Amino acid sequence: MNMEIRQDEARVNITWSGQNGDLPDTVRYDCTDADVLGWVTEALRGGTVPGIAGQRLVDLREHVVDRFPANLNRPYNLIQVRPKTPFG
Amino acid sequence: MKKIVIVGVGALGSHVVQFIRSLPQVAITVIDRDRVEQKNVLSQFHPKQAVGRSKVLAMQQTMSFLFSRRVVTVPHRLTADNVETLLGDADLIVDCLDNAEARGLVQRFARRHRMACLHGALSAAGDFGRVIWDESFDIDAEPGEGGATCENGEHLPFIVATAAHLALAIQRHLEGGDQVGFTLHPGGVTST
Repeated sequence: MNMEIRQDEARVNITWSGQNGDLPDTVRYDCTDADVLGWVTEALRGGTVPGIAGQRLVDLREHVVDRFPANLNRPYNLIQVRPKTPFG
Repeated sequence: MKKIVIVGVGALGSHVVQFIRSLPQVAITVIDRDRVEQKNVLSQFHPKQAVGRSKVLAMQQTMSFLFSRRVVTVPHRLTADNVETLLGDADLIVDCLDNAEARGLVQRFARRHRMACLHGALSAAGDFGRVIWDESFDIDAEPGEGGATCENGEHLPFIVATAAHLALAIQRHLEGGDQVGFTLHPGGVTST
């Protein structure tokens, strides 16, 4: 992926069904979790997330949205959509 | 000498102990009340001979036998009544627990006393791992009865990779006070 990411935007990374990829387009960093989950659901259904095979049945109710502001190691905001992690 | 207290020596915790065994000037204490089950030896740093034994005592014996490494053991459940005694003098708390209630107890104690606390967490399907400092850590609810539990041997490589990044975060913190975190997923490792 080679995209310009502004300070008010974020890359969205998705882990779904044992696969991982980024949304092709950035989103506003301050968008709501519901917005993120909606966009990701549509992208997964449409098969437009590089690295993740398209699936018609996508249910992200057990997924979580995390936000990480830019830092020295990663100079862009990151939003991760991930499965829950209750185990240790 | 820095005191690291690892709460939970199951999938992540048991591997973390052996990864940080050579850190200089570090005393390791492990807390866990569970016993080693047959299924645990598929994914945890416990030998078959330890089945039925206390996890922390088995860990102590393994570390002594393999690495001549001393580990202090607490074979009890962490509770509101003993949390001050068990965690109060830690320089770093490492949460490798697998239940939300106990994680909450650790988190509340660490926040109340402004203590350094690192959490390790795994998804049930073994496809997502988190190494995350307490300031950013939200506790995920456990799955309902009958849900997947990340206990099969097929997840061992992912569990060990996550444990190795926990150890890396611990090392970086001890060396310079940094609080680096990671997420591990099928696409690789992301620094958070």
